[in-house]
Amino acid sequence: MQTIKTVWSALTLAAAMCASAHAADMGTDIVKRGEYLATAGDCIACHSTAAGKSFAGGLAIATPLGKIVSTNITPSKTAGIGNYTLEQFTDALRRGVRADGERLYPAMPYTSYAQLSDDDVKALYIYFQQGVAAVDEKPAATDLPFPFNIRVSMAAWNLLFLDGKPFVPDGSKSVEWNRGAYLAQGLAHCSTCHTPRTALMGEDKSRPLAGADLGTWYAPNISSDAVSGIGSWSQAQLAEYLRSGRVAGKAQAGGPMAEVIDNSLRHLNEEDRQALATYIKTAAPQHDAQDSQAADSFGQAYAGIGALRGAPLASDTSKFNGAQLYDANCASCHRANGEGSAQWGGKDASLPALFHNTALGHLNSNNLVMAILEGVQRKAGGPEVLMPAFSNKLSDEQVATLSNYLLQHYGNPAAKVTAEQVKSLRAGGETSSLLTLARVGIVLVIALLLIVAVLLGRRRQPKP
Amino acid sequence: MSEQYSADVVVIGSGIVGALAAHRLAAQGASVLILEGGPRIDRATLVENFRNSPRKGDFVSPYPFSSWSPHPVYQPEDNDYLVQAGPYPYKAEYIRIVGGTTWHWAAQAWRVLPNDLRIKSLYGVGRDWPIAYEDLEPFYYEAEVKMGVSGAPNNGSPRNKPFPMQPVAESYLEQRFRERLAPGGYQVITNTTARNSRAYDNRPACCGNNNCMPICPIDAQYHGGLSVEAAEQAGAKLIHNAVVYRIEHDAQDRIVAVHYYDPQKNSVRVTGKTFILAANGIESPKLLLLSASDKFKNGLANSSGTVGRNLMDHPSNSLSFESDEELWPGRGPMSPASINHLRDGAFRADHAAFRIDISNSSKVPAVTQTLIAKGVYGTELEEQIRYHAARECSIKNVLEVLPDPENRVVLSDKKDALGIPRPQVHYAMSDYVHRGMAAAREEYTRIAQLMGGTNLRYSPDGIYGNNQHITGTLAMGSESKDSVVDGFGRSHDHPNLYIASTGVMPTAATVNSTLTAVALALRSAEHIHANA
Repeated sequence: MQTIKTVWSALTLAAAMCASAHAADMGTDIVKRGEYLATAGDCIACHSTAAGKSFAGGLAIATPLGKIVSTNITPSKTAGIGNYTLEQFTDALRRGVRADGERLYPAMPYTSYAQLSDDDVKALYIYFQQGVAAVDEKPAATDLPFPFNIRVSMAAWNLLFLDGKPFVPDGSKSVEWNRGAYLAQGLAHCSTCHTPRTALMGEDKSRPLAGADLGTWYAPNISSDAVSGIGSWSQAQLAEYLRSGRVAGKAQAGGPMAEVIDNSLRHLNEEDRQALATYIKTAAPQHDAQDSQAADSFGQAYAGIGALRGAPLASDTSKFNGAQLYDANCASCHRANGEGSAQWGGKDASLPALFHNTALGHLNSNNLVMAILEGVQRKAGGPEVLMPAFSNKLSDEQVATLSNYLLQHYGNPAAKVTAEQVKSLRAGGETSSLLTLARVGIVLVIALLLIVAVLLGRRRQPKP
Repeated sequence: MSEQYSADVVVIGSGIVGALAAHRLAAQGASVLILEGGPRIDRATLVENFRNSPRKGDFVSPYPFSSWSPHPVYQPEDNDYLVQAGPYPYKAEYIRIVGGTTWHWAAQAWRVLPNDLRIKSLYGVGRDWPIAYEDLEPFYYEAEVKMGVSGAPNNGSPRNKPFPMQPVAESYLEQRFRERLAPGGYQVITNTTARNSRAYDNRPACCGNNNCMPICPIDAQYHGGLSVEAAEQAGAKLIHNAVVYRIEHDAQDRIVAVHYYDPQKNSVRVTGKTFILAANGIESPKLLLLSASDKFKNGLANSSGTVGRNLMDHPSNSLSFESDEELWPGRGPMSPASINHLRDGAFRADHAAFRIDISNSSKVPAVTQTLIAKGVYGTELEEQIRYHAARECSIKNVLEVLPDPENRVVLSDKKDALGIPRPQVHYAMSDYVHRGMAAAREEYTRIAQLMGGTNLRYSPDGIYGNNQHITGTLAMGSESKDSVVDGFGRSHDHPNLYIASTGVMPTAATVNSTLTAVALALRSAEHIHANA
């Protein structure tokens, strides 16, 4: 206990020293710290639209239950959180309760933010009140289908899944590890995507960071298991991935992870990225018995398209085989043998190799399909990456044929892609069975009540 | 024959020029219908056709030929679609599919020089344009943003705003040419091209496949297929395999409809308020001549008698040589750099102006063929291919031809599969051209010397390559007696007929004509919108 206190004091002391160094403009310092924390929390990712103003909300977030529209969290008194007190702000962040007492949907990762220290919540509060421009525009309200439109149902959900206690440092671990754990479990909310969910959509605490299907993209297992997770990654590789989203011979970020890096992790200081890497490297191994080798260890250079030359082409691309689809759509960047190109024009050209690439190494092949359908685009300022989207160029069958060719030769041959899977991912992914479950559950309850009522009624009927 | 389609604006031809005009008008709210004679082909098919073709240097070979919408094919045999009346062969290449001929180009997207529009006033040759460079400048910029153009800021064409992006990184060959020619007084500048040097318009940066022609396999290079996609996203409708064969006017000389055949020769009538003819510099005059009526016996828009006349292009002579160092052409874009200072000057009174273009195409196929023909084989062949392909260079010019009414497109008495007369061309090279070619040849010799060149091979005297920049056949002018359209591209004879084409350029200048035609078409679109 003594050690824990010491570590915690050291952390607080460090923060205090930072703050006191510029005591004269402490207000500005707190705003800056709040801004840094808001970046670490990637608040902007959900609370802004691509074309909209910062933090003005309005992004419709596809969830298995329907679309949840993010709110305006600018200090606007009419449309945002300008009237929030620190206590109300804290309740929203840590408990998922709005100023008016209504419940937030857990698309807002308050189960993670519950870990935040009081100081950090306060800094965030001051930043959102003083450092953000007010926008007096109210986005559309979230309108989930019954029964999820009854927000109070979230209170019951919170009983099950909200552990409202702030982060408690582990005295047996280093300051760096504790900082990493605090960031990862709190603001960075890694588990929100990377921990599988139970049938009731709560994080499965028995399998932290074991990987989860997000409906479209797949958030891989990032536990320290050397086969199913990323135990084979070095600390330096992890920190580099968090900075650039790319480690040659391992992986590159796409989809939501690319956004997380561009909006958030890229802007953290190196110490915090190293701290995150330190913590993630120790995350309890979560092994999946189906995995036989690490996702980044599959495949090799293979030039299957050589055999195509001189062979007659099918009359149209719907009849192209995998090698022909690869040749026509992929080989011009990823090269005939799939090795990509590390350098072009004197800069890192980000034309990755397709073998030793986790996008093709997981048994869950969704990321491969999503990368083909949506492409991979990174934001300006970061490393330049633009893999074009092929959703309007390739049919479901073509994506499946191409993907299976890629998996067979460059990736995990046990992984497969079906045209039905592509169709589903193209449409936005599977919806949660929770909706059906909840509705069926409610119907059952009502039916039971009716039966009971009928039975009771019968009893009361006077006998003839 | 029933009336099946109608739109505010009907665009005939889906090449880059017509499609970008269509895009602009559709984005401004007009209903727009684009009619394309050829089929719709996706990029993947074209890439596979190219990779499977044994004739990598034949830039038409990946593009399917359709009998109902034929285009000239010269390899392996001339299909004789473009009837040659001589005396000089004019073997223009163009592609009749959705997106048109910019599916294969080197993405050269140059502006003309201000003086190019006034060569009659300044040098006493050719003709002046009815508009000034300043009239075009904003539309040039609009086209450059749409197409993702970059280039050297000192290319001689003034600009109000910087290019939307930086040029693609200099290839090693370009760098060495620049360094070695500088002491001789030659400034080598990066070409002005519609090629991504960075992610732009949801398209990736060039990664140096070096087959810009016949097909950029990753859309790093802009092309008309992308213009069509943009137009469709803005609400325009496209009908492919719709071969327009007649334009119909009313008693007030307004155009009321166009008629097209489908591949089975079923005829469809399409009505509209405004019509844009954008079917290239050969097919457009053909269509106007085909549409002759009792009132317009010489064809539509042809009261001046100049439809199809003043045919121009850019002929080229060239020099191939071996440099004394390894330059490895084939890395990066095929046509990356130019020598620009011979595009304008008092000499234009005497001989043709030109731009000198430095090729960066891979020389491996040509070198290999030469060596095999010499009987070299085995390890020796491999070594020699490496040696020569690393050193072989070629330079050529893009030379201005003056308008001559005798150089012209007419209807031949030969018909295509649908029974439509095929175009016939009359073409000749003037002494003005020959003198320009001789001047270029002197420059080539000096350039080769500066590069330590040996084994100099000049193209034969009087035999010039062609560059497929079909110009002049629908020339704009302020006088209706000697031009087809006014400064806004509107027919002098039919108030609701506009022509969007390289054909409306009254002179050819010394640069590839696409960007100028697009800028002129955007200006026409602006005029149509303003007068709607």
